[in-house]
Amino acid sequence: MTYSKEKIGRLVEEARVHRSVYTDPELFELEMDRIWGHSWVYVGHESQLAKPGEFITTTVGKEPVILVRDKADAIHVLYNRCGHKGSKVTARPCGKNSVFRCPYHGWTYQLDGKLQMTPHKIGYENTGFDPEDPQFSLRPVARVASHRGFVFACLASDGPDFREFMQDTIATIDNMVDRSPEGEVEVVGNCLPYMHDCNWKMFVENLNDAVHPMVAHASVGKATEKLMKSLPEGTPYPPEAEIIFPFGSAYDLFDSMKVTTMPYGHSYMGGEQSIHTGYSDIPGYFEALVAGHGEDKAKTILSRNRHNTTVYPSFTIKDAVQVIRVVRPISVNQTLIQSWHFRLKGAPEQLLHRTITYSRLINSPASMVGPDDWDVYSRMQESLQSNAAEWVDMHRYLGRDELVEDSDLKRAPGTSDLTMRNQYQAWLEYMTVETAA
Amino acid sequence: MSVDIREIEDFLYAEADLLDRTDLENWMALFTDDGTYWMPVREDQDDPLNEISILYENRTLMAIRCNNFGHRLAPSMEYPVRCNHIISAVRVTGEDEARGLLTVTSKFQAVVCYREQTLYAGRYTHRLQKEPDGYKIRQKRVDLINCDANHKSLLIYI
Ligand SMILES: [Fe+2]
Repeated sequence: MTYSKEKIGRLVEEARVHRSVYTDPELFELEMDRIWGHSWVYVGHESQLAKPGEFITTTVGKEPVILVRDKADAIHVLYNRCGHKGSKVTARPCGKNSVFRCPYHGWTYQLDGKLQMTPHKIGYENTGFDPEDPQFSLRPVARVASHRGFVFACLASDGPDFREFMQDTIATIDNMVDRSPEGEVEVVGNCLPYMHDCNWKMFVENLNDAVHPMVAHASVGKATEKLMKSLPEGTPYPPEAEIIFPFGSAYDLFDSMKVTTMPYGHSYMGGEQSIHTGYSDIPGYFEALVAGHGEDKAKTILSRNRHNTTVYPSFTIKDAVQVIRVVRPISVNQTLIQSWHFRLKGAPEQLLHRTITYSRLINSPASMVGPDDWDVYSRMQESLQSNAAEWVDMHRYLGRDELVEDSDLKRAPGTSDLTMRNQYQAWLEYMTVETAA
Repeated sequence: MSVDIREIEDFLYAEADLLDRTDLENWMALFTDDGTYWMPVREDQDDPLNEISILYENRTLMAIRCNNFGHRLAPSMEYPVRCNHIISAVRVTGEDEARGLLTVTSKFQAVVCYREQTLYAGRYTHRLQKEPDGYKIRQKRVDLINCDANHKSLLIYI
Protein backbone atom coordinates (compact mmCIF):
# COMPACT_ATOMS: atom_id res chain seq x y z
CA MET A 1 0.00 0.00 0.00
CA THR A 2 1.45 3.33 -1.03
CA TYR A 3 -0.95 5.50 1.02
CA SER A 4 -0.05 5.58 4.69
CA LYS A 5 -2.27 7.44 7.12
CA GLU A 6 0.31 10.23 7.20
CA LYS A 7 0.43 10.51 3.44
CA ILE A 8 -3.37 10.76 3.21
CA GLY A 9 -3.29 13.36 5.98
CA ARG A 10 -1.06 15.55 3.85
CA LEU A 11 -3.64 15.68 1.01
CA VAL A 12 -6.11 17.84 2.94
CA GLU A 13 -5.24 21.19 4.45
CA GLU A 14 -7.47 23.77 6.10
CA ALA A 15 -8.37 25.54 2.90
CA ARG A 16 -7.06 23.40 0.04
CA VAL A 17 -6.93 19.79 -1.13
CA HIS A 18 -4.37 18.01 -3.23
CA ARG A 19 -5.52 17.35 -6.81
CA SER A 20 -4.87 13.61 -6.48
CA VAL A 21 -8.05 13.18 -4.40
CA TYR A 22 -9.90 13.58 -7.71
CA THR A 23 -7.56 11.75 -10.02
CA ASP A 24 -5.77 8.87 -8.30
CA PRO A 25 -7.42 5.47 -8.89
CA GLU A 26 -5.77 4.10 -5.77
CA LEU A 27 -7.43 6.76 -3.60
CA PHE A 28 -10.72 5.94 -5.32
CA GLU A 29 -10.38 2.29 -4.29
CA LEU A 30 -9.62 3.36 -0.71
CA GLU A 31 -12.68 5.64 -0.73
CA MET A 32 -14.89 2.79 -1.88
CA ASP A 33 -13.84 0.85 1.21
CA ARG A 34 -13.34 3.53 3.85
CA ILE A 35 -16.06 6.05 2.91
CA TRP A 36 -18.62 4.14 0.86
CA GLY A 37 -18.05 0.96 2.86
CA HIS A 38 -18.45 2.68 6.24
CA SER A 39 -21.03 5.44 5.81
CA TRP A 40 -24.80 5.05 5.44
CA VAL A 41 -25.49 5.00 1.70
CA TYR A 42 -28.94 5.64 0.20
CA VAL A 43 -30.38 2.53 -1.45
CA GLY A 44 -33.97 3.27 -2.47
CA HIS A 45 -37.47 4.15 -1.32
CA GLU A 46 -39.93 1.66 0.12
CA SER A 47 -42.66 2.80 -2.29
CA GLN A 48 -40.60 1.18 -5.06
CA LEU A 49 -41.34 -2.16 -3.40
CA ALA A 50 -44.96 -1.72 -2.39
CA LYS A 51 -45.79 -5.44 -2.45
CA PRO A 52 -44.01 -8.54 -1.10
CA GLY A 53 -41.53 -9.90 -3.63
CA GLU A 54 -40.95 -6.52 -5.30
CA PHE A 55 -37.33 -5.51 -5.55
CA ILE A 56 -34.88 -3.05 -7.05
CA THR A 57 -31.18 -3.46 -7.72
CA THR A 58 -28.50 -0.83 -7.27
CA THR A 59 -25.03 -0.41 -5.82
CA VAL A 60 -23.61 0.60 -2.46
CA GLY A 61 -20.16 1.86 -3.35
CA LYS A 62 -18.92 -0.88 -5.67
CA GLU A 63 -21.14 -3.59 -4.20
CA PRO A 64 -24.15 -4.72 -6.24
CA VAL A 65 -27.18 -5.06 -3.95
CA ILE A 66 -30.86 -5.98 -4.03
CA LEU A 67 -33.43 -4.05 -2.01
CA VAL A 68 -36.42 -6.38 -1.52
CA ARG A 69 -39.61 -6.72 0.50
CA ASP A 70 -40.15 -10.26 1.82
CA LYS A 71 -43.42 -12.13 2.38
CA ALA A 72 -43.60 -10.89 5.99
CA ASP A 73 -43.28 -7.29 4.73
CA ALA A 74 -39.72 -6.90 6.05
CA ILE A 75 -37.19 -4.96 3.97
CA HIS A 76 -33.79 -6.50 3.17
CA VAL A 77 -30.65 -5.26 1.46
CA LEU A 78 -28.82 -8.30 0.08
CA TYR A 79 -25.57 -8.58 -1.83
CA ASN A 80 -26.51 -9.48 -5.40
CA ARG A 81 -24.10 -12.40 -5.47
CA CYS A 82 -24.99 -16.08 -5.57
CA GLY A 83 -23.55 -18.03 -2.62
CA HIS A 84 -22.33 -20.69 -5.03
CA LYS A 85 -20.02 -19.20 -7.68
CA GLY A 86 -20.82 -15.51 -7.30
CA SER A 87 -23.08 -14.75 -10.24
CA LYS A 88 -25.54 -11.89 -9.87
CA VAL A 89 -28.89 -13.57 -9.23
CA THR A 90 -30.77 -10.83 -11.08
CA ALA A 91 -29.68 -8.32 -13.69
CA ARG A 92 -32.97 -6.41 -13.80
CA PRO A 93 -33.23 -2.87 -12.38
CA CYS A 94 -36.53 -3.79 -10.69
CA GLY A 95 -39.12 -6.54 -10.68
CA LYS A 96 -41.18 -8.95 -8.64
CA ASN A 97 -40.08 -12.46 -7.63
CA SER A 98 -41.32 -15.15 -5.29
CA VAL A 99 -37.73 -16.42 -4.93
CA PHE A 100 -34.38 -15.42 -6.40
CA ARG A 101 -32.99 -18.13 -8.63
CA CYS A 102 -29.43 -17.96 -9.87
CA PRO A 103 -29.52 -18.37 -13.68
CA TYR A 104 -26.21 -20.27 -13.70
CA HIS A 105 -26.65 -23.46 -11.59
CA GLY A 106 -30.16 -22.86 -10.25
CA TRP A 107 -29.53 -22.21 -6.57
CA THR A 108 -32.68 -20.59 -5.24
CA TYR A 109 -33.05 -18.15 -2.36
CA GLN A 110 -35.93 -16.95 -0.23
CA LEU A 111 -36.72 -13.23 -0.38
CA ASP A 112 -34.82 -12.76 2.89
CA GLY A 113 -31.73 -14.25 1.23
CA LYS A 114 -31.77 -17.66 2.88
CA LEU A 115 -30.68 -20.54 0.64
CA GLN A 116 -33.81 -22.55 -0.18
CA MET A 117 -32.66 -25.18 -2.61
CA THR A 118 -29.69 -26.46 -4.58
CA PRO A 119 -30.56 -28.74 -7.52
CA HIS A 120 -29.44 -32.36 -7.72
CA LYS A 121 -28.69 -32.66 -3.98
CA ILE A 122 -27.13 -36.09 -4.25
CA GLY A 123 -23.85 -34.55 -5.33
CA TYR A 124 -23.46 -32.72 -2.02
CA GLU A 125 -24.14 -35.73 0.17
CA ASN A 126 -21.24 -36.59 2.48
CA THR A 127 -19.14 -33.71 1.19
CA GLY A 128 -19.35 -31.58 4.32
CA PHE A 129 -21.39 -28.98 2.40
CA ASP A 130 -23.78 -27.30 4.84
CA PRO A 131 -26.70 -25.48 3.18
CA GLU A 132 -27.43 -23.77 6.51
CA ASP A 133 -24.03 -22.07 6.50
CA PRO A 134 -24.68 -18.31 5.95
CA GLN A 135 -21.82 -18.13 3.48
CA PHE A 136 -24.06 -19.97 0.99
CA SER A 137 -26.95 -17.51 1.34
CA LEU A 138 -27.60 -14.23 -0.45
CA ARG A 139 -25.85 -12.35 2.29
CA PRO A 140 -27.41 -9.31 3.93
CA VAL A 141 -25.42 -6.09 4.27
CA ALA A 142 -24.31 -5.34 7.82
CA ARG A 143 -26.92 -2.70 8.67
CA VAL A 144 -30.13 -1.33 7.14
CA ALA A 145 -32.24 1.58 8.33
CA SER A 146 -35.34 3.21 6.95
CA HIS A 147 -36.74 6.64 7.70
CA ARG A 148 -40.18 7.49 6.32
CA GLY A 149 -39.57 5.07 3.47
CA PHE A 150 -36.02 6.19 2.61
CA VAL A 151 -33.78 3.14 2.97
CA PHE A 152 -30.08 3.48 3.74
CA ALA A 153 -27.51 0.71 4.15
CA CYS A 154 -24.14 0.51 5.86
CA LEU A 155 -21.73 -2.22 4.81
CA ALA A 156 -19.83 -2.04 8.11
CA SER A 157 -21.20 -3.33 11.41
CA ASP A 158 -19.31 -0.73 13.42
CA GLY A 159 -19.49 3.05 13.31
CA PRO A 160 -22.30 5.51 14.07
CA ASP A 161 -25.89 4.31 14.04
CA PHE A 162 -28.24 5.71 11.41
CA ARG A 163 -29.74 8.57 13.46
CA GLU A 164 -26.35 9.71 14.72
CA PHE A 165 -25.03 9.60 11.16
CA MET A 166 -27.92 11.57 9.64
CA GLN A 167 -27.63 14.47 12.10
CA ASP A 168 -29.93 17.37 11.22
CA THR A 169 -30.43 16.15 7.63
CA ILE A 170 -33.26 13.96 8.93
CA ALA A 171 -35.28 17.20 9.24
CA THR A 172 -35.00 17.71 5.48
CA ILE A 173 -36.47 14.27 4.78
CA ASP A 174 -39.18 14.97 7.35
CA ASN A 175 -39.98 18.30 5.75
CA MET A 176 -40.32 16.76 2.31
CA VAL A 177 -42.64 14.02 3.56
CA ASP A 178 -44.63 16.41 5.77
CA ARG A 179 -45.35 18.48 2.68
CA SER A 180 -47.75 15.67 1.79
CA PRO A 181 -51.21 16.27 3.34
CA GLU A 182 -51.18 12.54 4.16
CA GLY A 183 -47.62 12.57 5.49
CA GLU A 184 -46.42 10.11 2.84
CA VAL A 185 -44.51 10.27 -0.43
CA GLU A 186 -44.03 7.80 -3.24
CA VAL A 187 -41.60 7.45 -6.13
CA VAL A 188 -43.11 8.13 -9.55
CA GLY A 189 -41.73 6.78 -12.79
CA ASN A 190 -38.25 5.74 -13.72
CA CYS A 191 -35.19 7.54 -12.53
CA LEU A 192 -33.51 9.99 -14.84
CA PRO A 193 -29.89 8.84 -15.16
CA TYR A 194 -27.04 11.13 -16.19
CA MET A 195 -23.50 9.83 -16.64
CA HIS A 196 -20.79 12.31 -15.63
CA ASP A 197 -17.15 12.23 -16.74
CA CYS A 198 -15.83 13.33 -13.36
CA ASN A 199 -14.93 12.20 -9.89
CA TRP A 200 -17.95 11.79 -7.59
CA LYS A 201 -16.72 14.48 -5.20
CA MET A 202 -16.92 17.21 -7.85
CA PHE A 203 -20.63 16.62 -8.17
CA VAL A 204 -21.17 16.46 -4.40
CA GLU A 205 -19.15 19.64 -3.81
CA ASN A 206 -21.08 21.55 -6.44
CA LEU A 207 -24.50 21.03 -4.85
CA ASN A 208 -24.00 23.72 -2.26
CA ASP A 209 -21.55 25.77 -4.31
CA ALA A 210 -23.41 29.06 -4.63
CA VAL A 211 -20.60 30.92 -6.33
CA HIS A 212 -21.01 29.10 -9.62
CA PRO A 213 -24.65 29.64 -10.73
CA MET A 214 -24.28 33.29 -11.77
CA VAL A 215 -21.26 32.30 -13.86
CA ALA A 216 -21.81 28.77 -15.14
CA HIS A 217 -25.57 29.25 -15.54
CA ALA A 218 -25.53 32.87 -16.65
CA SER A 219 -26.49 32.09 -20.23
CA VAL A 220 -29.79 30.38 -19.48
CA GLY A 221 -30.79 33.28 -17.22
CA LYS A 222 -30.02 35.75 -19.98
CA ALA A 223 -31.75 33.58 -22.58
CA THR A 224 -34.88 33.58 -20.43
CA GLU A 225 -34.66 37.32 -19.86
CA LYS A 226 -34.34 37.92 -23.58
CA LEU A 227 -37.50 35.92 -24.22
CA MET A 228 -39.45 37.76 -21.52
CA LYS A 229 -38.40 41.12 -22.95
CA SER A 230 -39.66 40.07 -26.38
CA LEU A 231 -43.17 39.41 -25.00
CA PRO A 232 -45.82 42.13 -24.59
CA GLU A 233 -45.42 44.04 -21.34
CA GLY A 234 -47.29 42.55 -18.38
CA THR A 235 -47.12 38.98 -19.74
CA PRO A 236 -46.97 36.74 -16.64
CA TYR A 237 -43.88 34.62 -16.18
CA PRO A 238 -44.38 31.16 -17.58
CA PRO A 239 -43.74 28.51 -14.87
CA GLU A 240 -40.62 27.38 -16.71
CA ALA A 241 -39.08 30.83 -16.42
CA GLU A 242 -39.91 30.88 -12.72
CA ILE A 243 -37.77 27.77 -12.26
CA ILE A 244 -34.85 28.78 -14.46
CA PHE A 245 -34.52 32.44 -13.49
CA PRO A 246 -33.23 32.12 -9.91
CA PHE A 247 -30.25 30.13 -11.21
CA GLY A 248 -28.82 33.41 -12.41
CA SER A 249 -29.44 35.21 -9.08
CA ALA A 250 -26.88 37.57 -7.59
CA TYR A 251 -24.26 36.65 -4.99
CA ASP A 252 -26.20 38.57 -2.30
CA LEU A 253 -29.25 36.36 -2.62
CA PHE A 254 -27.16 33.20 -2.25
CA ASP A 255 -25.19 34.70 0.64
CA SER A 256 -28.43 35.48 2.46
CA MET A 257 -29.54 31.85 2.01
CA LYS A 258 -26.64 30.72 4.24
CA VAL A 259 -25.06 27.29 4.34
CA THR A 260 -25.10 25.04 7.38
CA THR A 261 -22.73 22.15 7.95
CA MET A 262 -22.64 19.27 10.40
CA PRO A 263 -20.47 16.27 11.24
CA TYR A 264 -19.95 13.44 8.71
CA GLY A 265 -19.71 15.93 5.82
CA HIS A 266 -23.40 16.82 5.57
CA SER A 267 -24.71 20.28 4.76
CA TYR A 268 -27.67 22.23 3.57
CA MET A 269 -28.30 25.58 1.98
CA GLY A 270 -31.23 27.83 2.80
CA GLY A 271 -33.53 27.38 5.76
CA GLU A 272 -36.09 30.12 6.05
CA GLN A 273 -35.75 31.10 2.43
CA SER A 274 -34.25 29.59 -0.67
CA ILE A 275 -34.43 30.11 -4.40
CA HIS A 276 -37.64 28.05 -4.28
CA THR A 277 -39.43 30.54 -2.00
CA GLY A 278 -40.85 32.67 -4.80
CA TYR A 279 -42.86 29.97 -6.62
CA SER A 280 -46.51 30.73 -7.25
CA ASP A 281 -48.91 29.05 -4.87
CA ILE A 282 -50.79 26.09 -6.23
CA PRO A 283 -54.58 26.37 -5.70
CA GLY A 284 -55.95 24.00 -3.10
CA TYR A 285 -52.58 22.86 -1.80
CA PHE A 286 -52.43 24.94 1.35
CA GLU A 287 -56.04 23.99 2.18
CA ALA A 288 -55.22 20.29 1.75
CA LEU A 289 -52.16 20.67 3.96
CA VAL A 290 -54.19 22.41 6.67
CA ALA A 291 -56.82 19.65 6.50
CA GLY A 292 -54.07 17.06 6.95
CA HIS A 293 -51.88 18.71 9.57
CA GLY A 294 -53.73 21.70 11.05
CA GLU A 295 -52.95 25.31 10.21
CA ASP A 296 -50.02 25.89 12.56
CA LYS A 297 -48.11 22.83 11.45
CA ALA A 298 -48.93 23.50 7.80
CA LYS A 299 -47.41 26.98 8.07
CA THR A 300 -44.34 25.65 9.85
CA ILE A 301 -43.83 23.00 7.18
CA LEU A 302 -43.98 25.51 4.35
CA SER A 303 -41.76 28.02 6.15
CA ARG A 304 -38.88 25.54 6.12
CA ASN A 305 -37.21 25.93 2.80
CA ARG A 306 -33.88 24.26 2.43
CA HIS A 307 -32.60 24.66 -1.10
CA ASN A 308 -30.50 21.54 -1.14
CA THR A 309 -29.38 19.11 1.53
CA THR A 310 -26.39 16.83 1.06
CA VAL A 311 -26.10 13.61 3.02
CA TYR A 312 -22.46 12.85 2.37
CA PRO A 313 -21.50 10.92 0.29
CA SER A 314 -24.45 9.46 -1.59
CA PHE A 315 -27.70 11.37 -1.22
CA THR A 316 -28.88 14.88 -2.03
CA ILE A 317 -32.41 16.09 -1.53
CA LYS A 318 -34.46 19.14 -2.42
CA ASP A 319 -37.35 18.88 0.01
CA ALA A 320 -39.24 21.89 -1.36
CA VAL A 321 -39.37 20.37 -4.86
CA GLN A 322 -39.47 16.66 -3.94
CA VAL A 323 -36.49 15.59 -5.99
CA ILE A 324 -33.49 13.58 -4.85
CA ARG A 325 -30.24 12.99 -6.67
CA VAL A 326 -28.31 9.86 -5.87
CA VAL A 327 -24.56 9.52 -6.40
CA ARG A 328 -23.17 6.23 -7.78
CA PRO A 329 -19.39 6.34 -8.30
CA ILE A 330 -18.26 4.19 -11.24
CA SER A 331 -14.53 4.91 -11.33
CA VAL A 332 -12.13 7.67 -10.34
CA ASN A 333 -13.30 9.73 -13.32
CA GLN A 334 -16.85 8.58 -13.90
CA THR A 335 -19.98 9.05 -11.78
CA LEU A 336 -23.59 8.13 -12.41
CA ILE A 337 -26.20 10.56 -11.06
CA GLN A 338 -29.78 9.34 -10.76
CA SER A 339 -32.64 11.77 -10.20
CA TRP A 340 -35.75 10.35 -8.53
CA HIS A 341 -39.08 12.13 -8.22
CA PHE A 342 -41.71 11.94 -5.52
CA ARG A 343 -45.45 12.47 -5.36
CA LEU A 344 -46.82 14.12 -2.21
CA LYS A 345 -49.79 11.88 -1.45
CA GLY A 346 -53.00 13.87 -1.15
CA ALA A 347 -51.59 17.01 -2.81
CA PRO A 348 -52.97 18.57 -6.04
CA GLU A 349 -51.32 17.04 -9.08
CA GLN A 350 -49.85 20.41 -10.11
CA LEU A 351 -47.24 19.88 -7.39
CA LEU A 352 -46.05 16.75 -9.11
CA HIS A 353 -46.07 18.57 -12.45
CA ARG A 354 -43.80 21.20 -10.92
CA THR A 355 -41.49 18.54 -9.49
CA ILE A 356 -41.22 16.92 -12.90
CA THR A 357 -40.76 20.22 -14.75
CA TYR A 358 -38.14 21.34 -12.26
CA SER A 359 -36.08 18.19 -12.68
CA ARG A 360 -36.35 18.20 -16.46
CA LEU A 361 -35.16 21.80 -16.57
CA ILE A 362 -32.33 21.41 -14.07
CA ASN A 363 -31.28 17.75 -13.79
CA SER A 364 -31.87 16.28 -17.25
CA PRO A 365 -28.86 15.47 -19.43
CA ALA A 366 -30.71 17.52 -22.06
CA SER A 367 -31.51 20.47 -19.80
CA MET A 368 -29.97 23.95 -20.11
CA VAL A 369 -28.46 23.73 -16.61
CA GLY A 370 -27.01 20.24 -16.03
CA PRO A 371 -24.78 20.22 -19.13
CA ASP A 372 -23.02 23.41 -17.98
CA ASP A 373 -22.21 21.76 -14.65
CA TRP A 374 -21.21 18.59 -16.48
CA ASP A 375 -18.86 20.54 -18.65
CA VAL A 376 -17.00 22.32 -15.87
CA TYR A 377 -16.60 19.07 -13.93
CA SER A 378 -15.10 17.33 -16.92
CA ARG A 379 -12.80 20.28 -17.58
CA MET A 380 -11.48 19.96 -14.03
CA GLN A 381 -11.16 16.20 -14.30
CA GLU A 382 -9.03 16.67 -17.40
CA SER A 383 -6.93 19.60 -16.28
CA LEU A 384 -6.21 18.33 -12.77
CA GLN A 385 -3.97 15.81 -14.54
CA SER A 386 -1.73 18.77 -15.28
CA ASN A 387 1.49 19.10 -13.33
CA ALA A 388 1.24 22.88 -13.45
CA ALA A 389 -0.06 23.07 -9.89
CA GLU A 390 -0.82 20.64 -7.10
CA TRP A 391 -3.65 22.21 -5.09
CA VAL A 392 -7.35 23.00 -5.34
CA ASP A 393 -8.46 26.01 -3.33
CA MET A 394 -11.29 26.43 -0.78
CA HIS A 395 -10.59 29.77 0.94
CA ARG A 396 -13.91 31.61 0.58
CA TYR A 397 -15.12 33.00 3.93
CA LEU A 398 -12.50 30.99 5.80
CA GLY A 399 -12.46 31.83 9.51
CA ARG A 400 -15.86 33.53 9.44
CA ASP A 401 -18.11 30.58 10.33
CA GLU A 402 -20.57 31.02 13.15
CA LEU A 403 -21.22 28.18 15.55
CA VAL A 404 -24.89 27.45 16.03
CA GLU A 405 -25.63 27.38 19.75
CA ASP A 406 -26.13 24.03 21.50
CA SER A 407 -25.31 22.03 18.39
CA ASP A 408 -22.55 20.72 16.15
CA LEU A 409 -23.79 22.97 13.37
CA LYS A 410 -21.68 25.64 11.68
CA ARG A 411 -23.15 28.38 9.54
CA ALA A 412 -21.70 30.74 6.94
CA PRO A 413 -22.81 33.00 4.08
CA GLY A 414 -24.18 30.96 1.18
CA THR A 415 -21.16 31.53 -1.03
CA SER A 416 -18.71 30.25 1.61
CA ASP A 417 -16.52 27.25 0.82
CA LEU A 418 -17.49 25.95 4.27
CA THR A 419 -19.45 23.00 2.87
CA MET A 420 -16.41 21.80 0.93
CA ARG A 421 -14.02 22.26 3.82
CA ASN A 422 -16.49 20.34 5.95
CA GLN A 423 -16.69 17.52 3.40
CA TYR A 424 -12.91 17.18 3.35
CA GLN A 425 -12.85 17.11 7.15
CA ALA A 426 -15.18 14.12 6.97
CA TRP A 427 -13.18 12.66 4.07
CA LEU A 428 -10.04 12.81 6.15
CA GLU A 429 -11.71 11.20 9.16
CA TYR A 430 -13.07 8.33 7.07
CA MET A 431 -9.84 7.85 5.14
CA THR A 432 -7.47 7.80 8.11
CA VAL A 433 -9.33 5.63 10.62
CA GLU A 434 -7.32 2.71 11.97
CA THR A 435 -8.38 -0.38 10.06
CA ALA A 436 -8.09 -3.91 11.37
CA ALA A 437 -6.27 -4.92 8.20
CA MET B 1 -58.08 14.16 -46.55
CA SER B 2 -55.84 13.25 -49.42
CA VAL B 3 -52.42 12.39 -48.10
CA ASP B 4 -49.37 12.67 -50.29
CA ILE B 5 -46.68 10.57 -48.60
CA ARG B 6 -43.95 12.28 -50.63
CA GLU B 7 -45.06 15.64 -49.28
CA ILE B 8 -44.88 14.30 -45.73
CA GLU B 9 -41.46 12.75 -46.30
CA ASP B 10 -40.19 16.04 -47.67
CA PHE B 11 -41.54 17.82 -44.62
CA LEU B 12 -39.71 15.42 -42.26
CA TYR B 13 -36.50 15.71 -44.28
CA ALA B 14 -36.68 19.49 -44.18
CA GLU B 15 -37.30 19.46 -40.45
CA ALA B 16 -34.33 17.17 -39.82
CA ASP B 17 -32.21 19.31 -42.12
CA LEU B 18 -32.87 22.38 -39.95
CA LEU B 19 -31.60 20.41 -36.94
CA ASP B 20 -28.57 19.25 -38.93
CA ARG B 21 -27.82 22.90 -39.61
CA THR B 22 -28.59 23.75 -35.92
CA ASP B 23 -31.06 26.35 -37.17
CA LEU B 24 -33.29 26.21 -34.10
CA GLU B 25 -35.14 29.40 -34.91
CA ASN B 26 -36.54 28.13 -38.18
CA TRP B 27 -36.94 24.67 -36.73
CA MET B 28 -39.22 25.84 -33.93
CA ALA B 29 -41.25 27.84 -36.41
CA LEU B 30 -42.45 24.47 -37.78
CA PHE B 31 -44.43 23.90 -34.58
CA THR B 32 -47.95 25.12 -33.83
CA ASP B 33 -48.23 27.63 -30.98
CA ASP B 34 -49.21 24.80 -28.63
CA GLY B 35 -46.68 22.41 -30.19
CA THR B 36 -44.43 20.22 -28.03
CA TYR B 37 -41.26 18.16 -28.39
CA TRP B 38 -41.16 15.05 -26.23
CA MET B 39 -38.35 12.58 -25.52
CA PRO B 40 -39.51 10.00 -22.91
CA VAL B 41 -37.08 8.25 -20.58
CA ARG B 42 -39.12 5.05 -20.48
CA GLU B 43 -40.41 2.64 -23.12
CA ASP B 44 -44.15 3.01 -23.73
CA GLN B 45 -44.31 6.09 -21.50
CA ASP B 46 -47.69 7.73 -22.01
CA ASP B 47 -47.53 10.74 -19.68
CA PRO B 48 -45.15 13.70 -20.01
CA LEU B 49 -46.62 15.68 -17.06
CA ASN B 50 -46.74 13.22 -14.17
CA GLU B 51 -43.54 11.36 -15.05
CA ILE B 52 -40.02 12.48 -15.80
CA SER B 53 -38.83 12.68 -19.41
CA ILE B 54 -35.47 13.54 -20.93
CA LEU B 55 -37.14 16.42 -22.78
CA TYR B 56 -40.65 17.82 -22.91
CA GLU B 57 -40.60 21.32 -24.32
CA ASN B 58 -43.22 23.82 -25.38
CA ARG B 59 -42.66 26.91 -27.52
CA THR B 60 -41.54 28.90 -24.46
CA LEU B 61 -38.73 26.48 -23.75
CA MET B 62 -37.85 26.17 -27.43
CA ALA B 63 -37.48 29.95 -27.54
CA ILE B 64 -35.26 30.00 -24.43
CA ARG B 65 -33.19 27.18 -25.90
CA CYS B 66 -32.90 29.10 -29.13
CA ASN B 67 -31.50 32.11 -27.22
CA ASN B 68 -29.22 29.86 -25.17
CA PHE B 69 -27.83 27.79 -28.04
CA GLY B 70 -24.22 28.72 -28.74
CA HIS B 71 -24.29 31.36 -25.97
CA ARG B 72 -20.80 32.66 -25.26
CA LEU B 73 -21.38 32.44 -21.47
CA ALA B 74 -22.35 28.75 -21.43
CA PRO B 75 -19.37 26.46 -20.75
CA SER B 76 -21.18 23.59 -22.49
CA MET B 77 -21.48 25.67 -25.65
CA GLU B 78 -17.77 26.14 -26.23
CA TYR B 79 -17.76 23.13 -28.54
CA PRO B 80 -19.36 22.78 -31.94
CA VAL B 81 -22.55 20.75 -32.26
CA ARG B 82 -22.97 18.91 -35.54
CA CYS B 83 -25.65 16.41 -36.46
CA ASN B 84 -26.65 14.19 -39.30
CA HIS B 85 -30.09 12.62 -39.52
CA ILE B 86 -31.24 9.69 -41.61
CA ILE B 87 -34.98 9.04 -41.71
CA SER B 88 -36.74 6.06 -43.24
CA ALA B 89 -39.93 3.98 -43.13
CA VAL B 90 -42.19 7.02 -43.10
CA ARG B 91 -45.79 5.91 -42.65
CA VAL B 92 -49.11 7.56 -41.90
CA THR B 93 -50.51 5.63 -38.97
CA GLY B 94 -53.44 7.81 -37.99
CA GLU B 95 -55.76 10.32 -39.62
CA ASP B 96 -58.33 12.64 -38.06
CA GLU B 97 -59.93 14.18 -41.11
CA ALA B 98 -62.31 16.48 -39.22
CA ARG B 99 -59.48 18.19 -37.33
CA GLY B 100 -56.94 17.95 -40.11
CA LEU B 101 -54.56 15.89 -37.97
CA LEU B 102 -52.16 13.21 -39.11
CA THR B 103 -50.02 10.81 -37.12
CA VAL B 104 -46.81 9.91 -38.91
CA THR B 105 -44.27 7.40 -37.65
CA SER B 106 -40.77 6.97 -38.98
CA LYS B 107 -37.43 5.47 -38.02
CA PHE B 108 -34.35 7.57 -37.58
CA GLN B 109 -30.66 7.46 -36.90
CA ALA B 110 -29.03 10.69 -35.79
CA VAL B 111 -25.29 11.03 -35.42
CA VAL B 112 -24.43 13.89 -33.10
CA CYS B 113 -20.91 15.19 -32.81
CA TYR B 114 -20.58 17.08 -29.55
CA ARG B 115 -17.22 16.61 -27.78
CA GLU B 116 -17.48 13.00 -28.97
CA GLN B 117 -19.54 11.31 -31.65
CA THR B 118 -22.72 9.59 -30.49
CA LEU B 119 -25.28 7.58 -32.41
CA TYR B 120 -28.90 8.04 -31.38
CA ALA B 121 -31.55 5.83 -32.96
CA GLY B 122 -35.23 5.19 -32.57
CA ARG B 123 -38.71 6.03 -33.70
CA TYR B 124 -40.31 9.39 -34.40
CA THR B 125 -44.00 9.99 -33.98
CA HIS B 126 -45.09 13.28 -35.54
CA ARG B 127 -48.58 14.63 -34.97
CA LEU B 128 -49.02 16.97 -37.89
CA GLN B 129 -51.61 19.69 -38.38
CA LYS B 130 -52.69 20.36 -41.95
CA GLU B 131 -52.65 24.08 -42.63
CA PRO B 132 -53.43 26.01 -45.83
CA ASP B 133 -49.73 26.40 -46.66
CA GLY B 134 -48.52 22.96 -45.61
CA TYR B 135 -48.01 21.14 -42.31
CA LYS B 136 -47.24 22.25 -38.75
CA ILE B 137 -46.07 20.01 -35.90
CA ARG B 138 -48.43 19.58 -32.94
CA GLN B 139 -46.06 17.14 -31.30
CA LYS B 140 -42.81 15.45 -32.16
CA ARG B 141 -42.21 12.41 -29.98
CA VAL B 142 -38.76 10.83 -30.01
CA ASP B 143 -38.48 7.30 -28.66
CA LEU B 144 -34.81 6.44 -28.38
CA ILE B 145 -34.13 2.71 -28.35
CA ASN B 146 -31.87 3.41 -25.39
CA CYS B 147 -34.20 5.93 -23.75
CA ASP B 148 -33.30 4.67 -20.26
CA ALA B 149 -29.52 4.47 -20.81
CA ASN B 150 -27.01 6.46 -18.76
CA HIS B 151 -26.79 9.34 -21.22
CA LYS B 152 -24.24 12.11 -21.17
CA SER B 153 -25.17 15.69 -22.08
CA LEU B 154 -27.46 16.22 -25.05
CA LEU B 155 -27.26 19.78 -26.37
CA ILE B 156 -29.69 19.72 -29.23
CA TYR B 157 -33.05 18.26 -30.19
CA ILE B 158 -32.74 14.96 -32.03
FE1 LIG C 1 -24.78 24.29 -11.34
